[in-house]
Amino acid sequence: MSIAVTFLVNGECHTVAVEPFDTLVDVLRDKVRLTGTKKGCGVGDCGACTVLLDGKPVNSCLVLALDAADASITTIEGIAKDGELSAVQKAFISEGGTQCGYCTPGMILSATALLERKPDPTSDEIKDALAGNLCRCTGYSGIMRSVSRCSNYQSDGTCAKPSHPLPKRDKSESDYRPSSGECGSVGVSIPRVDAGDKVTGRAIYTNDIALPNTVYGKILGSPIAHGYVKKVDTSKAEALPGVLAVLTGKDVPDTMYGVSPARYDEYVLARDKVRHVGDEVAAVVAVDERTAEAALELIDVEYEELPAVLDPYEAASEGAPLLHERYKRNINTHVDQSFGDVEAGFAESYLIREETFTGNHIYQSPLEPHATIATWEHDGTLVLYTSTQVPHYVQYMMAHVLHIPLGKIRVIRPTVGGGFGGKAETTPLDLCAAIFSKKLGRPVKMVYSREEMFHHGRGRHKQHMKFKIGVDREGVIQSFASEIYLDGGAYSSFGVATAYYAGSVLPTLYRFPNYAYDGYRMMTNKPAAGAMRGHGVPQPRFAFECLLTMVADDLGIDPIEIRRRNAMTPNTMTVNEMDVGSCEFLRTLEAVNEKVDWNEKYGKLEKGKGIGIGCGGFVSGAGYCIYRGQVQLSHEKGREPFQKKSTFPHANAIVKISEDGMAAVLMIGAAEIGQGSDTVLTQMCAESLGIPSSRMRIRSEDSDISPLDLGAYSSRVTLMAGHAVSRAGVAIVEKLLPYAALLLDCDPGIIEAHNGRMFVRGDESRCVAWEEVARKYFNDNGPLVGTGAYKPPDGLGGDHKGSSVGTSPAYSFGSAVCEVSVDLETGKVAIDKFTDFHDCGTPINPMAVHGQVEGAVVMGASETILEDVQFDDKGRILNPNLHGYLMMTIKDAPEIFSGLVDSYEPRGPFGAKEIGEGSTLPVLGAVAHAIANATGVWIKDLPITPEKILRALQEKRDSPETTLADAKA
Amino acid sequence: MYMPSVEFHQATTLPEAFDLLQACGPSTRVLAGGTDLLVDLKAKRVTTDHVISITRVGELKGIALDNGSLRIGALTTITQLDESPLLEGGFDPIRDAARLMAVRQIRNVATIGGNLASAVPCADLPPILIAMNARVHIASRDGEREVPIKEFLLDVRKTALDRHDILSAITVPQPPPQFGAAYERFGLREGNAIAVAAVAAGIRLATDGTLETATIVLSAVSPIPKIALQASSIVQGQHPSDDLFARAGEAARGEADPISDIRGSASFRRDLVAVLVQRALKKAVERAGGDVL
Repeated sequence: MSIAVTFLVNGECHTVAVEPFDTLVDVLRDKVRLTGTKKGCGVGDCGACTVLLDGKPVNSCLVLALDAADASITTIEGIAKDGELSAVQKAFISEGGTQCGYCTPGMILSATALLERKPDPTSDEIKDALAGNLCRCTGYSGIMRSVSRCSNYQSDGTCAKPSHPLPKRDKSESDYRPSSGECGSVGVSIPRVDAGDKVTGRAIYTNDIALPNTVYGKILGSPIAHGYVKKVDTSKAEALPGVLAVLTGKDVPDTMYGVSPARYDEYVLARDKVRHVGDEVAAVVAVDERTAEAALELIDVEYEELPAVLDPYEAASEGAPLLHERYKRNINTHVDQSFGDVEAGFAESYLIREETFTGNHIYQSPLEPHATIATWEHDGTLVLYTSTQVPHYVQYMMAHVLHIPLGKIRVIRPTVGGGFGGKAETTPLDLCAAIFSKKLGRPVKMVYSREEMFHHGRGRHKQHMKFKIGVDREGVIQSFASEIYLDGGAYSSFGVATAYYAGSVLPTLYRFPNYAYDGYRMMTNKPAAGAMRGHGVPQPRFAFECLLTMVADDLGIDPIEIRRRNAMTPNTMTVNEMDVGSCEFLRTLEAVNEKVDWNEKYGKLEKGKGIGIGCGGFVSGAGYCIYRGQVQLSHEKGREPFQKKSTFPHANAIVKISEDGMAAVLMIGAAEIGQGSDTVLTQMCAESLGIPSSRMRIRSEDSDISPLDLGAYSSRVTLMAGHAVSRAGVAIVEKLLPYAALLLDCDPGIIEAHNGRMFVRGDESRCVAWEEVARKYFNDNGPLVGTGAYKPPDGLGGDHKGSSVGTSPAYSFGSAVCEVSVDLETGKVAIDKFTDFHDCGTPINPMAVHGQVEGAVVMGASETILEDVQFDDKGRILNPNLHGYLMMTIKDAPEIFSGLVDSYEPRGPFGAKEIGEGSTLPVLGAVAHAIANATGVWIKDLPITPEKILRALQEKRDSPETTLADAKA
Repeated sequence: MYMPSVEFHQATTLPEAFDLLQACGPSTRVLAGGTDLLVDLKAKRVTTDHVISITRVGELKGIALDNGSLRIGALTTITQLDESPLLEGGFDPIRDAARLMAVRQIRNVATIGGNLASAVPCADLPPILIAMNARVHIASRDGEREVPIKEFLLDVRKTALDRHDILSAITVPQPPPQFGAAYERFGLREGNAIAVAAVAAGIRLATDGTLETATIVLSAVSPIPKIALQASSIVQGQHPSDDLFARAGEAARGEADPISDIRGSASFRRDLVAVLVQRALKKAVERAGGDVL
């Protein structure tokens, strides 16, 4: 029974019909239509739905709308006054306080409430005020800078002159290099191009879109980990008023899909078997989401339960339950690689050490849940709005499953609230929504709940690693052998690539003369593991970094010194045939060494304090496309054999100049998911056009507008899409040169375009306005359009099986030092300080680079000490929520210094390489080493929890050796 | 995650609330701040046909000092508790616990009454309130009765409230001279953490510096906060010292009755109890003006 209620929102009265059980967030979003208030978890764990009630921040998902009826409500849309942003909003723009933007409205409201209460807060007060707002992108550093900047806050939302000096970012040598004028601003920390929308609540995410006549779908997940689906009775659900249609396995195409073409093994909905708790069995569409949710409970499914296998070693054992007939002994992928002569290397070694390490189940947990809206146009075009990192692969996979040509699918990627690899695949939401929408002839929206996100999975593979290293007397690596069991979950997902990545990127950081890798990706009855930031590499990198430090300790060599002795050098072909070009790894080592005063601290700290080193690096874009051969024409096309060259460009751009020459519109399909690609691509394109970046607009969200780009994965966008946009810019300039030459009366070959002007090289006084030349071009020829494309170099990689994985035009490098305090009585770790120096080539936007590093530090530290998806013995997730799955809050995050070393990558645009994924890699090892340094015990299985530390300390105390040593002392 | 379709009622006075309780069935739930109940309803951990919101019942609001003892209305939010000047001084330990709870968005809405009536084992306020000898006031049609808080909490999610009752207030007696209390807890992260183990201690020093009385309350390591009788008696009559507190901690380790769950094993929780008991006692003695040897 709905009641008409008047709400006072941002000073305006809104009278809407409310159900007594409606929570405030739903009324604000769906009825008042203010969508700046975000839904992240629904149960008060994330803070994305924070609004102010009478000036106090509350989670609007935990407030009944009726209880808010007599309060004054402030949402993010009410913070700017008459179009003038508040001081907090401005600071979030200028200080890098926003990335994906999904937490930003809540953050800004919490910060504003704090500043209203305490105009000059201490940093502890800021942290306390923001502890209820989770952020997965920024590492909270930019947010701390933003709020700290607003000291002396006034009630009108402005700041008086700061009463104390603003916190300044400690800049490294190559930061904020002076740009040549304002021009395209390559190398300059310009604010994100989307920041203004993100701080005001104007950024539109998929779930914020309300197409007329939309209906809502939900998917039923399996309650058991393994079993046959015997019978699905949907009659009761269909009878529920408001339910429009129900789908089961028999209603969906008999086409399997997935990521790696050789291992398509998923159906849209289970046809015969379920293989993990949450495996999709049936779907419902109804007039609203609530009804659809209720209908799921009315579907009766009869299962014949099978024994489940949850451990990769058990999965491989004789007689273990088999998940898929096609994967014998549950081996999904076996990697068997050997380079050089590993046994001879060990034979020549002075010291050999073998250790076993275990990783953890990490889930990306982007703040924005996956969401999709599908709608079909009358000409048979499918329009899909989806929260994805890979619009093209979604388009490709929809074409494959739905049996329609790629060209009949238009994918729109609205603002995406973070991905980290968790949105790098086509989801059952995309497919079910499209199928429902076709059936009903109206738009269908489907959104995962936080719990469903965990059950859908695709997080980091938990890896079980047996490593063996052989070194000479000086610590120089002679041989390295690894055996890794990857816990793959129930489907392939990215797993084939993951299994190869787990081995192939290790030799790009240190020189391995001999190297063997034996990898097994195993099927288990858990949600499929997929690709997560650092794809396959972070856990082996953690293990290797720990092992290298152990060896250094054994030999009495400083852990930084042993890294120097083994460090990768520029222009090296690795033992596994990865082609390393620019490499300033040594410089990053020297830089952290100096910055933290390593020699003054290492081995000299008081009990409970620790310092540790970790290093890492990653590919700047995968050398090959996920699918082989040419771009997909339709579903009928067969698989093509692997060729050692790119058969089509991986990144493509179009630039169109407005008819008056005053604006340039950049069209590229590269997916902005919060990492900042729209901004750096704008900068690079403007630079090559020779105009200020403020004249650019970027359209990256619509496949009808922008040409193909493979998307945001493998840290590929800066390098690959960067080339495409730069080339498109150059193409425009080339078209303009003859016209400029006419206007300037000179040879076209001596004209330069820069900062909105075209002039004679060496004599800038002989110039003409850029727009004037562009106008002339249009008047004579019509549209001024330039295109650019990028193909990775041909021939990357060796000839061995799996040689394509890990290939890249360029590699990044980084070194990090972590400083911790450990409470030796409880095992609790506080990560105090983190210092990172990176070789990301020449940075396009240093603030964006630091933002990636800061975010990676906190994500990496969080997964090292806190995060783990836990399962019971029936394969049920014990913590599919953000109060059980613990991610660092602002109170847990360390103080971070991010620095860059001078570097130039000849294969990158403007000398640039990647930063997004590589920045994760040094973190885990550095944290683990710092803890070992503080406690005297190595914890070799992640996460390094207080309980594990305490147990290890007790074991050490109780061991006979210690007792003997104590007796001697 | 949506709320189920329950019948929703709003009471504006206590008598109205009693009438509604009478009229609705036994599964009826009372809604105060809602930060527990709405989550439970959305997650379908709680099913009910009727929810009665008491957020507008004025009689349940406000904090007052009465002859030195503190009366806290059940609808007092955790933030109000934290910010009330009436808590300054002797009632500081309650404020400590309030500040450790959840996050500001929750503290702005969650109430002291809800924190008690939910009776979840890891709640932050009950242990310190027990250590400070608080009493719970229960209103019903028949008037108000009061029980010591340790008799109020019966089991996990079970209290002395009967279906016609409303928790109306909590009173905390004025701490006697040379009294000190402290709350120490362990959470896995710094922000928005749930107690894995917690200990509250309330002690009174005799004029000779020995511990005249001591109440050590263990929390999150038993279904309801548990008074560690052995540990308490070990310290009673003794001069405070690290060694003494270590022995008390060891005794409390045995008295705890923890479970193993995703946050930690039972044995880890016992280890934590041993440490937290020492820390809480030490802080309580310091607050009472005593010295720890």
